[in-house]
Amino acid sequence: MDRRRFLLVSALAATAACGGERPGRSTGSSAVPLTRTDSPGALPLHDDIPPIADGLSPESGGVLKILNYPEYVSPDVLKAFGKKHGVEVEVTTFNTMEDAISKLRTPGASFDVWFPTPDVIGKAAVGKLLLPLNKTYLGNLANAWPQLQSPFYDEGSRYSVPYCAYTSGVGYRADEVTAGFGYGLLWDPAYKGKAYLIDDHREGLALAMLKNGSREINTEDPVKIKQAGTWLSELVPLMNIKTGIAAYQLVAEGQATVHHCWSGDMINAQSYLPKGVDADVLGYWYPSDDLGVVGTDSLAVPASATKPVLAHMLLNHLLDPVVAQENFSFTGYQPALSAITPEKMVTDEFVTEGLKSAIVTPDVYARSQQIFQISPAAEAVWLDTWSQFKAGQ
Amino acid sequence: MPFYAVAAVAFGYTDPVFNAPVPEWDPRYWDFTAFTEILTRSITGDLRPVFLRTLLYVALALGLCVVIGYPVAYYVARHAGRHRALLLGLILAPWWVNYLTRMLAWLNLLQDDGYVNDLLLLTRIVDEPVRWLSGNPVTVVLALVYGYIPFFIVPLFSTLDRIDPLLLEAARDLGCSSRGAFWHVTLPLSRPGLLTASAITALPMFGDYYTNTLVSGSPTTTMIANQIEFYLLGGTRKELGASLVLLLSALLMVLMVYYLISSRRAEEEVS
Repeated sequence: MDRRRFLLVSALAATAACGGERPGRSTGSSAVPLTRTDSPGALPLHDDIPPIADGLSPESGGVLKILNYPEYVSPDVLKAFGKKHGVEVEVTTFNTMEDAISKLRTPGASFDVWFPTPDVIGKAAVGKLLLPLNKTYLGNLANAWPQLQSPFYDEGSRYSVPYCAYTSGVGYRADEVTAGFGYGLLWDPAYKGKAYLIDDHREGLALAMLKNGSREINTEDPVKIKQAGTWLSELVPLMNIKTGIAAYQLVAEGQATVHHCWSGDMINAQSYLPKGVDADVLGYWYPSDDLGVVGTDSLAVPASATKPVLAHMLLNHLLDPVVAQENFSFTGYQPALSAITPEKMVTDEFVTEGLKSAIVTPDVYARSQQIFQISPAAEAVWLDTWSQFKAGQ
Repeated sequence: MPFYAVAAVAFGYTDPVFNAPVPEWDPRYWDFTAFTEILTRSITGDLRPVFLRTLLYVALALGLCVVIGYPVAYYVARHAGRHRALLLGLILAPWWVNYLTRMLAWLNLLQDDGYVNDLLLLTRIVDEPVRWLSGNPVTVVLALVYGYIPFFIVPLFSTLDRIDPLLLEAARDLGCSSRGAFWHVTLPLSRPGLLTASAITALPMFGDYYTNTLVSGSPTTTMIANQIEFYLLGGTRKELGASLVLLLSALLMVLMVYYLISSRRAEEEVS
């Protein structure tokens, strides 16, 4: 056998030997409970990860480690908190929740406070990444919206407290858009080349469903998901649509005339306006019926926390209305607290009258749709459908 | 090792709790489901036009690099005289500035009301502003050329510079015109450099996703590296992204083999 034939036979033999099932490999369906607003669930507790005891003194000295999105908490708020408690506060950032979970699961890594989205809290709790909260340290939880003091995704607030709330609507340039308000703005050829979608598979496809009157934004039916992809694909030739998550900059600078975006982006856009441009050029549309998406973010303490008492205190600190409002002025994303109302935000000059609709209220939260965690198989269909849209199909 | 790690992810499995990819390091347990899916989609499905678009954009960008880069390299190597160092420095000057910063500068220049459109309107080349940044394929190709042309010029200059001037003199002594000497001596002798420059330029173009994202961001111009970015940096199907990396690598390997064979032949012809 010559060398070339030997290599070929070896390669074929190696390939034939592949594809076996590793003994003990778990391939079963997700063990994470899929909670819904109409079927809330309490997340499991683990005997080997108990909550901290009552009445402990906060840890001091060293570093309090935060795991968060970039620019999603005020450095001044953290600095003041660290100074008060004699610790240095260090922020590690992530761009996606998958990235965050990967960081939390890294052997040896420890974080004291994490800013998760509700859809990952369940898997993080089941996967023993979170510390159960001791609510005797969280008196300010009473300041949160009533629905979020025991939210559907974490009944009894076992592992999380609410942080910010947002809606997904259409940000626009009020000096160019004067009529036709609605999701249809993104289908209006008048704005061709200057229209953007949120670059997220669930948000983008949900938009297409809502625009067409469907509320099934958590469906696991491949036919319905593909239909949403077809609706979205209309935008490629019609609008030369683009995707992105920088509405705060693109709308402010006029690169985008209409942008599917999160409400916080439009509030933030006020800080990105070119010199001399008035904030009245910014507008935000959100439906007055139930065909809109609302979302919240949360705060949690990872099981790897080395300063769990201080971490609880930071959670409580961020739920204080005064601190929360200061934090809001930096992030642009409003805290989900009862004290934050649209009227107060306009009076306090946080937003212009035209952006009042960007402030979320408990009523808006109650009537809107939410993007829930779905099964891995359905998640794959959503992702592939979005991939096909992004491939220009 | 990095290649093996990519293969381990592509042929690995998914953690049922975190829905996250788990690399499978033991080839006996590799699962080819994701790779087969990507292969099928690339041959007959939604990824086929993306591959074809990528090949087209890279081919056009490479063609422009030849058209622009060859005369520049030729001039610097043969006619720049004492200004040669200065010209080379100017060619490399953009590299002194961070790539992202340079591209962001271009984004400002290419706005609907930017200086490029101002100039085109002033000179009446166009009647209305060109929408350079609205998913325009021309912008993507030009941006690729802008980003990678120094990679093309420098190795080509090096080859042209090494051509013995006596050979050109001999060609002229034997009756060749300047143009004839170029076609019969310079061009054949520079072929190895041309091939090297093309390979060095094309390979990173295939893997570039950020240029396209910056100047377009539209589904109409999506390239294969954008799909790799989509699967690897977001979502839960990283095994598909890793499979795409393997497939693109296989394609590039074919091109590299062609390059190696061609360059060996070119060197044999030269010697």
